[in-house]
Amino acid sequence: MIEQVPQILVLIGLIISAVLTFHFKDLLAAILAAGLFSFLISLEFYILQAPDVAISQAAIGAGLTTAIFIIAIRATGRFEGESS
Amino acid sequence: MKKMLVMGVSLFIIAAFFGVMALNLTFGSPTMTDMDDYFLRHGQEQTGSNNECTAVVFDFRGFDTLGESTVLFCGIIGVALMFRKMQGGEEYEDE
Amino acid sequence: MRMSRIVRTAADILYPAILIFGLYIVAHGHLTPGGGFQGGAVIATGGALVIVAYNYKEVTGWLKKNVLTGQEVTGLVGFIGVGLLALAFGQGFFFNYLVGSGSIFGIPVPYGINAGELNTAGTVPLMNFAVGIEVWGGLTVVILYMLSGLEKEGC
Repeated sequence: MIEQVPQILVLIGLIISAVLTFHFKDLLAAILAAGLFSFLISLEFYILQAPDVAISQAAIGAGLTTAIFIIAIRATGRFEGESS
Repeated sequence: MKKMLVMGVSLFIIAAFFGVMALNLTFGSPTMTDMDDYFLRHGQEQTGSNNECTAVVFDFRGFDTLGESTVLFCGIIGVALMFRKMQGGEEYEDE
Repeated sequence: MRMSRIVRTAADILYPAILIFGLYIVAHGHLTPGGGFQGGAVIATGGALVIVAYNYKEVTGWLKKNVLTGQEVTGLVGFIGVGLLALAFGQGFFFNYLVGSGSIFGIPVPYGINAGELNTAGTVPLMNFAVGIEVWGGLTVVILYMLSGLEKEGC
């Protein structure tokens, strides 16, 4: 039972970060919450003994996707319904 | 208020459905294991790679990796085509 | 818009380390967890770090788009070429013709737990390198192209 404690913590963090991604009106904060979601799900993959998937998720989900979304936000607008 | 109630009840039904299904699963012991046993038993001598994941991805399932590389290539070609006009200073021609 | 001197120095120090770590993941793809796709993604993350830390015009001086696109094309063509080379040995497409042959990447591997030798696994390391080069060039050039559109818009 004691070895399931970090897994339960990671799952609670996943749910919280997913709800935060849905909740934020500031798109930059929402993107950072999505990056936190990617990082936590890569941690979950590592706990479930899939290090291949964990490496690619941490590199692409938490690194590159966040950078691409931030570039897209700089080109458009920071809040919903605003057009730069 | 009624809307919230309907949403909560439907979420509870969906969560109960997936929860019952997840509790019935036998985690870590799949039912049909012929292919897995073959890969685990013969993968090391047939491909010579200690990493079984890479042996499956790059040798037994090589066509899958070929398709994945092609999909990545096509996506990057799409991005390059989308931003090429802006870079050269050309304008879109109106009909 | 370039960032402060601290960020630029940290990016300068971290970029070779990330490059070496990614190339390690690519080269040891048949021994340790990882492979071509994961290693290329790690190297592209290092490229994104440099692109974020520096100006767009400064970065394009030595991180050229033509070179990265050429890497992408070279990786895909090399991957298909390694697969097609099996036809010259009288085997099917994607057959692992180098394993156990005694030449390069051709040392036979015993069954079970062993220490691991870099010179094994036949065509798998060649395909790892091809896919790693392709993903490195591709994922870096996506960020460069998007940033070039941003510079042109002027915001």
